[in-house]
Order: sequence, then structure tokens, then C-alpha cells
Amino acid sequence: MNSEDLIAALSRDVRPVPRHALGQRVGLGLGAGVLATLIVVGGWLGYRPDLMFAMHGAVFWIKSIYTISLAICATGATLRLARPDGRVGGWLPLMIVPVLGLAAIAVGELAMTPKGDWLAMWLGHSWKVCSRNVFLLAVPIFAGLLWSFRRLAPTRLALAGMTAGMAAGAWGATLYCLHCPETSALFVLTWYTLGMAAAAVLGAVLGPRLLRW
Amino acid sequence: MLAGLAGDSVAHAALLRALLPPLRSFFRRRLGGREDDVEDLLQETLIAVHQRRATYDPSRPFGAWLFAIARYKLVDTYRRTGRTSARHTALDDMDELPDEFAFAEASDARADLDRLFEDIPEKQAAVLRATRIEGLSTSEAAERLGIGESDVKVSAHRGLKALADRVRDSLR
Repeated sequence: MNSEDLIAALSRDVRPVPRHALGQRVGLGLGAGVLATLIVVGGWLGYRPDLMFAMHGAVFWIKSIYTISLAICATGATLRLARPDGRVGGWLPLMIVPVLGLAAIAVGELAMTPKGDWLAMWLGHSWKVCSRNVFLLAVPIFAGLLWSFRRLAPTRLALAGMTAGMAAGAWGATLYCLHCPETSALFVLTWYTLGMAAAAVLGAVLGPRLLRW
Repeated sequence: MLAGLAGDSVAHAALLRALLPPLRSFFRRRLGGREDDVEDLLQETLIAVHQRRATYDPSRPFGAWLFAIARYKLVDTYRRTGRTSARHTALDDMDELPDEFAFAEASDARADLDRLFEDIPEKQAAVLRATRIEGLSTSEAAERLGIGESDVKVSAHRGLKALADRVRDSLR
């Protein structure tokens, strides 16, 4: 086929592209993934029975704000990297802010707890499964983002995969808050972050393979 | 590009056609004589420009977007064919070379001009487009726009002044 025929063929189907098509596309993939994960949390883990009560307490919101702010940063970076000439800009370094914030809270928590209870606080009741659950809950969201990327044009595939994985991990962790009754900042800082980081690493590994176009 | 995004298929085809020469010279310079590969990459790039046009941000330079796609396609080809000599791996970090640059600049400059022209009265913009960009004479412009020759001169003068003020303001 010569280029002239190709251009004619391509020009036959020129659907208008809305102004925020890229954001919509990512939003759709993300939304579908979040919905799937929400169903998984409900069906597999179960929402914590005291959810309504917990939402009146500060702990629930500290956890949520931590994961949501990380999710927003990672999603922002992903949106940037979805363009061929995109640079991550300030989104990645910004992620240090919630981490440091939660670390400060964790330090305060340690200071108020007798040394003998530190280990119990750090491990909580569910340290063995927490990271794994966060990681697994990220999978549907990551799949949704992969679908979004089929029409997008990342040129730094490993980095884009990493931020997409991180976004999936952080949104997954946010939904995990609906199940997880742990209350310690140190616990969240360790095990949630570990799960999210695992999702980011998986994204970085899979990115060059799955995001190619 | 903007008209193509709005769904104008004629403008879209015109854009794709206009991209052929700069893209061809971009690939040709880097593939040194492998004409088949040049044409393959050219077509792949056109398809990507078409399919992934939603990733173009109208507030950013078009040339940078286009050559980011072209460069990605080129690097992807090297990766696939396993050519990894130093000359080729350096492509990732390579910045635009002169003639892509000229093309990018020309398309950006047009976009910038369009933006500036939006800020000044319509008649002045029309006169400036006719006389300074298309290169019509005063009388030709007057005839085309249906206004007097002195009106053309005055509008051009005022338009240039207004543009100069805008540019100066934006630099401040």
C-alpha cells in the first residue's frame, strides 16, 4: 500500500476527538478497574462491619488520605506519560509528601506507645496478608489502565508501567481500607506501601511488554 | 491538526500528507538508504498519528508531539530488529535536529500567530494575514476584503502595533 492510499483509508474515519479525550479514556479504564476491585473487596474480603462507625474516626481518614494522595500523584504522572512527549514532571517527587506525613504520624505513635508493644503495633493482626491483598486488589485496576493505554501513546514504557502500577496499587489500597481494620500508622506505612510498591514494580516490568504500540 | 481533531476529514488528510516530507527525511537520515524500512516506518507513524491523535495536547507544540512518535517508532524498530550499535541507542536522548526543528518551529509559529490574531480586531487580523503572510499587495488586499486601500494601510499599521504590544506584554 502506498502512503497516499493509506492516508485516504485513514481519513475515511475521522471521528471527532473531544477536548479531554485522554483524561476520559484513562478515567474510564480506572473507573472500570475500581468498580471491579470494589466488587472483589465486597465478595472476597467483606467490608469491615464497623465501616460506618470507623468513618467517624480519624484513623480511617488518615489511611484513606495517605492512599488517595499517592493515587492522585501516580495517576497524574500516568496521564502525563500517556502522551508521547510527556514528562512526569513534579508528580513523582510529590509522592514523598504523604509518605513523610504518615512517617511523622508513625513516629508520634511510637513515642506514645511503650516499647514492648511496638512489634505488635507494627505487625497488627494482618501483616502477613495485607501487602498481598493490596497487590491483588491492584490487578483489576491495572488491567483497566492497560485497556486505557491501548489508544494512548507512552514512549517511556517502563516508567509509564510503573506509574500505572503505582496508581493501581494506591487505588487498590484505598479500597482495601474499606476492609482492613488496622489502626496503626506504622502498619499502613509498612505493609500498604509494600503492596503498592510491589504493584509499581510489576508495572515497571510489564510496561515494556504490554504497553508497546 | 486541530481541524482533524474536530472531525474534519479533509483537513486530517491534508495534515497527514503534509507530514510525509519531514517524516521521510527524518527516517531516511537515520536509516541510511534502507528505503523499504523508511516507507514502513513512515506508514506506521502515520497510523499512530491517526489512531493516537487523542494524545495530542493542543496547548503544546505539535512538532514535539509528532517527532516523539516518530522517534518511538524508530527506536521500536531497532529494538525489534536487534540493532543496538552505539549510534542507534543514542537515539533515545537525541534532541531534534535542524530540519525537524524548522518544521516544528514553522507549525508552532503558525499556532502562535493564530493565537495572537485572536486577540486583535478581526479586520486588522484579516489585513495582516493578506498582506504580511500571503504577501498580497495593498490593492489586492483591499479588493479581496472589500475595503479601501487607505483602510488596509491603516488597519495593517494598527494591527502590527497591537501585535507588538501583545508580544511585549507576554514577554514582560
